[in-house]
Amino acid sequence: MSEFTNAESNMDPQFKFCWVIALRAEAKPLIDALKMKLVENKSLFPIYANEETGHALVISGTGSIKSAAAATFLKTYLKINDYSAWINLGIAGFFKGPIGDIYQANKVVLKESGAAFFPGLRLSKQIPSAILFTVSKPENGYKEKVLYDMEAAGFCEMAPSFSCNELTYVIKIVSDTPNASSSLITKHLVRELIEKQLSKILDIIAEIEILVEEEKKRLSIPNEVIEFEKRFKFTETNKYKFREIYRKWKVAFPSKKLDLSEFLNSQPKEIILRLEKEVLFNAEDWNVL
Amino acid sequence: MIFFEEEIYEHPTTARIRRALPKASWVPIDRYQELFNKRHQNFKLQKKNPALILAKKHDNFVLPVPSGFGMGSHKNFYFSHMYNCLYDCKYCFLQGMYSSANFVLFVNFEDFFRSISEKIKEYKGQSLTFFSGYDCDSLAFDKLSGFADQALSFFNGLSNVELELRTKSIAIGSLLQREPLSNCIVAFSLSPAQIAKSLDSKAPSINRRISAIKQLADAGWKIGLRFDPLIYTSDWKELYSALFADIMNGLDPERIHSISYGPLRFPKTMYKKAASLHPEHKLFAFPMEETNGVVSYGAKIETQMHDFLKSELNNYISENKIFQCTI
Repeated sequence: MSEFTNAESNMDPQFKFCWVIALRAEAKPLIDALKMKLVENKSLFPIYANEETGHALVISGTGSIKSAAAATFLKTYLKINDYSAWINLGIAGFFKGPIGDIYQANKVVLKESGAAFFPGLRLSKQIPSAILFTVSKPENGYKEKVLYDMEAAGFCEMAPSFSCNELTYVIKIVSDTPNASSSLITKHLVRELIEKQLSKILDIIAEIEILVEEEKKRLSIPNEVIEFEKRFKFTETNKYKFREIYRKWKVAFPSKKLDLSEFLNSQPKEIILRLEKEVLFNAEDWNVL
Repeated sequence: MIFFEEEIYEHPTTARIRRALPKASWVPIDRYQELFNKRHQNFKLQKKNPALILAKKHDNFVLPVPSGFGMGSHKNFYFSHMYNCLYDCKYCFLQGMYSSANFVLFVNFEDFFRSISEKIKEYKGQSLTFFSGYDCDSLAFDKLSGFADQALSFFNGLSNVELELRTKSIAIGSLLQREPLSNCIVAFSLSPAQIAKSLDSKAPSINRRISAIKQLADAGWKIGLRFDPLIYTSDWKELYSALFADIMNGLDPERIHSISYGPLRFPKTMYKKAASLHPEHKLFAFPMEETNGVVSYGAKIETQMHDFLKSELNNYISENKIFQCTI
């Protein structure tokens, strides 16, 4: 399916950031800045990616359902890991200017149903936050003191299940206000609005990357474990037991390596027992500090 | 970031917080559950920057304590004006209980007090103890919430009724500003300093907690000492002995209402969740035992710790003030 492979480890690439963006004009400045290349253009949802920097991007088209579908497509197509951050970036209407200001959505409401989502950790040191209403057709009344878009709610419905709510972000740049009609928005203006905020967006990426790395560390399965699970036929129960006792064993003996050659004639249960014994023996002089 | 149920925007506690945090972003919600109980939340990441949720509690204000929690044979109840805690203790059961690390503050304290009054009426003539600080820290948020002051005013003068404020906080200003209540116990959770430094993230150091204890005791407040959970480590006897000595140094034993201790224990599902949040922490690398769905150090270590603590604490205080917590 995906053309990406990691030649060294023969593992899937590790994308840390997944962008879900409605319009090509919104995506282009990011694609250029992060040096992403087109990797899929045969489906409804074009995908761009840069394996080296860990960024992947899907263009969803306009609408909440398309946003959810495109995010799902990206997740499946590139086999995105469960520690990756998901970001919906785009333009939005706002009840006040100036045009070009950037906001993090702290609450996303699907206007039609009232369903509410609360994406992401607050990036309050970087950008201000605002409530966002996702509407099904362009909003020109700006009746409430909120941002208006047409995608975020669909994105928020799906993306948290791919990693978690705290790694799901909705970032919007004001493109139209009561004093600057949405009818004036052009592709050129959209690109310009995004380009002007690129530096801020890169700052945000740096902050989110810290969280992604932490989750990656927490969720990653060590290579030693993967090797053993490939070599031995663990039942699901034994696989759980093995991973759990390996975790404890590794904390107890951080400098030790689990040497496959020592266990070549062992059964999975024997491997587990051996680790349990070593952990138990070590517990007699246990130091929690 | 403050999320608030629109229904309580005008409540005096909400108004107090609005005044205290004029620059905060306020986001309206219908009910706290729509945020607090959402699926796919990451407790560990959320704990880095939790939001405050202001809500109204509608029912279950006062509940019986789980068996093995209270002191002696009193009727014991607990109430939680907050869910979650400012601190980030590795062993805390809240991280296994809630999917969210956001703080929920129930602003309608008056409904808690009404419900407590009903319990007092129901059990007229019996000795009752009400525990605060089961699902939160009683005092950690007090500067903002003003809870302690209102609770103390309510409990002031109630006969046969005790209030326990359980805490790791040193925010004792509201207590020191008033006359001590004879029916209020300020109970501090404590561990040896080295252990607390490693496990009680974001909580005041043990030295500062001990200092707060002594200030309160000097002012005439009754003190509770809570060594729960007991943490096993190679030199635990020396560490706990030194801790007791530090606490008791200059503290009038008469001011101590009670001491309780309890072993580190988790329901199995909570242990799994907590271990998955801190997979590299040594606390979750010990070969714990599981019996009837409860994960613990096992009977041998628990007995050793129980015997030692009981004997050690007897050096400082009479046996009838020492309790073992078994949940």
